Amino acid sequence: MKRSADAVLVLALLTAAAASLLTGGAALSPRQVAGALIGTASPEVEAVVVSLRLPRLALALLVGGALALAGTALQSLLANPLADPFLLGISGGGAAAATLAVVALPAAALGAVPLAAVAGATAATTLVWWMARGPLGTSSTRLILAGVAVNAAASAVILLVLALASGQRLPGALAVTMGSLANASPAAAWWLLPYALLPALVLLHHGRDLGLLGTGEESAAGLGVDVPVVRRRVFLAAAALCGGAVAFAGVIGFVGLVTPHLCRLVWGPEPRRLLVRAGIAGAALTALGDVVARRLVPGAELPVGVVTAVLGVPFFVVLLRRSA
Amino acid sequence: MSMLRASRLCGGYGPRQVVGPVDLDIRAGTCVGVLGPNGAGKSTLLRLLAGILPPRDGEVLLLGRSLLGWRRREVARLVGFVPQSLSVAFPLTVQEMVMQGRAPHLGAWQPAGPADEAAVEAALVEVGLADRRNVGVHTMSGGERQLVLLARALAGQPRLLLMDEPATGLDIRHQLDLVDTVRRLVRTGVGAVVVLHDWNLAARLADGVLILQEGRVAARGASGEIMVPEVLGEVFGVVVDRLPAPGGPVLVPRAVPHARSQQPTVEG
Repeated sequence: MKRSADAVLVLALLTAAAASLLTGGAALSPRQVAGALIGTASPEVEAVVVSLRLPRLALALLVGGALALAGTALQSLLANPLADPFLLGISGGGAAAATLAVVALPAAALGAVPLAAVAGATAATTLVWWMARGPLGTSSTRLILAGVAVNAAASAVILLVLALASGQRLPGALAVTMGSLANASPAAAWWLLPYALLPALVLLHHGRDLGLLGTGEESAAGLGVDVPVVRRRVFLAAAALCGGAVAFAGVIGFVGLVTPHLCRLVWGPEPRRLLVRAGIAGAALTALGDVVARRLVPGAELPVGVVTAVLGVPFFVVLLRRSA
Repeated sequence: MSMLRASRLCGGYGPRQVVGPVDLDIRAGTCVGVLGPNGAGKSTLLRLLAGILPPRDGEVLLLGRSLLGWRRREVARLVGFVPQSLSVAFPLTVQEMVMQGRAPHLGAWQPAGPADEAAVEAALVEVGLADRRNVGVHTMSGGERQLVLLARALAGQPRLLLMDEPATGLDIRHQLDLVDTVRRLVRTGVGAVVVLHDWNLAARLADGVLILQEGRVAARGASGEIMVPEVLGEVFGVVVDRLPAPGGPVLVPRAVPHARSQQPTVEG
C-alpha cells in the first residue's frame, strides 16, 4: 500500500510540474512545452518556458519542499502537531528582517537579503521556543500565543519599514510580505538551492532523533538524543529553510502545517519515513497552488499564499478543535 | 561490580535545588527501590542518574567513568530509562514505539535489522503486548502505556534499568508481572533503580531501599531493614502495621491521629 502511495506522490509531483509549465500568459500546447524542454521549440517558446516557467516551477518546488520539511521537523521537535513556520511567526520573523534588509542595505549588498531572512527566522524561532517552553515541554496554547506575539512584532516591523521605505525600494519590500512566485528567475532558484538542500540534509540526518523527540524531550534524552544539540541544529535548519523561502517567495502560510499531517495519514508519524515524502508533497502542493492562483481569476494572478491559506485555515481550525 | 555510583550528587531546576547531597552505589545484579513522599526528589534523582539532568554538584560514575565523559548514545545503550509518563503527540503503534528502544544501537541513517526486530519481539512478548503490536499507543490506557515504556526500555537490552514509577496505572496482575520481569533481569546481572510508591511492591522487588525526604536520604539499607513499621512510620508520618500473610508480611499504613503533617526525619 505504501509503495503505491509513493507512486501516487511521484505522479502528483509530475502532474503539478506539468500543470505549472502549461500555465502562463501565453497559450502553449504540451507539445510546444516539451519541445522547449528538449531544445526543439522556437526561440520565443523556449524563452517563455526556460526563462519564465521553469524557474517559477523550480522556485515553487523548492519553497514548498522547504516549508513542508520545516513544518514536519518542528512538529516532531516540539512534539506538537500545531507547529508550523507561518503560525509560529518564523516566516514572519524572516519577512521582517528581509524587508528591513531590502530597504536598508546598499544596492551592492542586496545578495545578503536571504541571510537577513535566515537571521530573522532564527531570532523568531528562538523567541517562540523561549516563550512557549514550560517544565513539561511546549503546550499548544503557549506555542500558539508565542506565535501570535512574534507575528505581531514582525508585522509591526514590516509596517514600519514599508512606511519609511523609499519609492524605489518599496516594490521589493512589498514582494517579501506577499507570498507570491511572480518574481521567480533562474538566479532566484539557484540561490535558494543551498538554503533548501543543506538544511534538508541536516533534518534527514536527525530523522530518527526527531521521531524520539516526538515522544517528549525527557523520553528522547533517555534514548540517547543529545537534546540541546539536536534542538539547536533543527531550529537552525528550519529557520534556514523558512528564511530562504521567505527571501525568494515571500510569506506562504500553512504548507508547513497541512503537508506533514496529510502525509502522516498515509506513511505514519515516523519522521525518517515522513521527511522526504513531506518535502515532495509540499513541493507538489505549492506548485499546484500556484497553478490555481494563476488560473482562478481570468486575467489576474493571485498570490499563491492566498490559495494555501484557503486550504490551510480550515485545516488549522479542525486541528485546533481536535487538540482541545 | 559497581555499575553506577553517585557521590555527593546534587541537582535541581532553575534556582531551586531539589536533590542532594545523595550517595548511591548500584551494583550489577541488584535492585534498589527509591521511595519517599511526594516532592521528595525521586524523579529528579533518577534524571540525574540517567544523565538527563546535569548535576549541580557531585558526580555520577557509569562503569567507573564520569557520566559527563560519555556520549548520550553510549549511555543509552547501557542504561534503559523508563520515564514516568509519555507524551503521545503523534499516533505511533506499539511496535513503532518499542522499536524506538533500539535507537541507541542504530546509526543516523541505518535501518533496523533482524537483531533489532528480534529484540523488539522479545520485549513485546516479555510484557505481554505481542498481540497488540499494531494498536495505536495514543488509544491505550495509562497502565498499558507503562507496559509499552517498559518494553521500549527492554528492547534496548540495557545493563542498567532506571524506572520512574513503572507500576503507576498497572493492575495488580501486571504489577506482579513487573516484579517478575525485573527480578528475572536482575538475576541475569542487570542493575535496577526503581522509583515506587507502593511499599509492598518495593519490599517484593528491591534488594536495597533508599528513602528520600526533601531531597535528602532519610533512610537507606537492605529491604528487610528499611521496610519495617518503625522506619516507614517515622519517615512518612503515619502508623504502620505489619500483618502476616502467606506470601510474606504486608505493610499497612494508617493516619496518626491529630498529626497529619508531621514528617520527622530518620537518617539510617
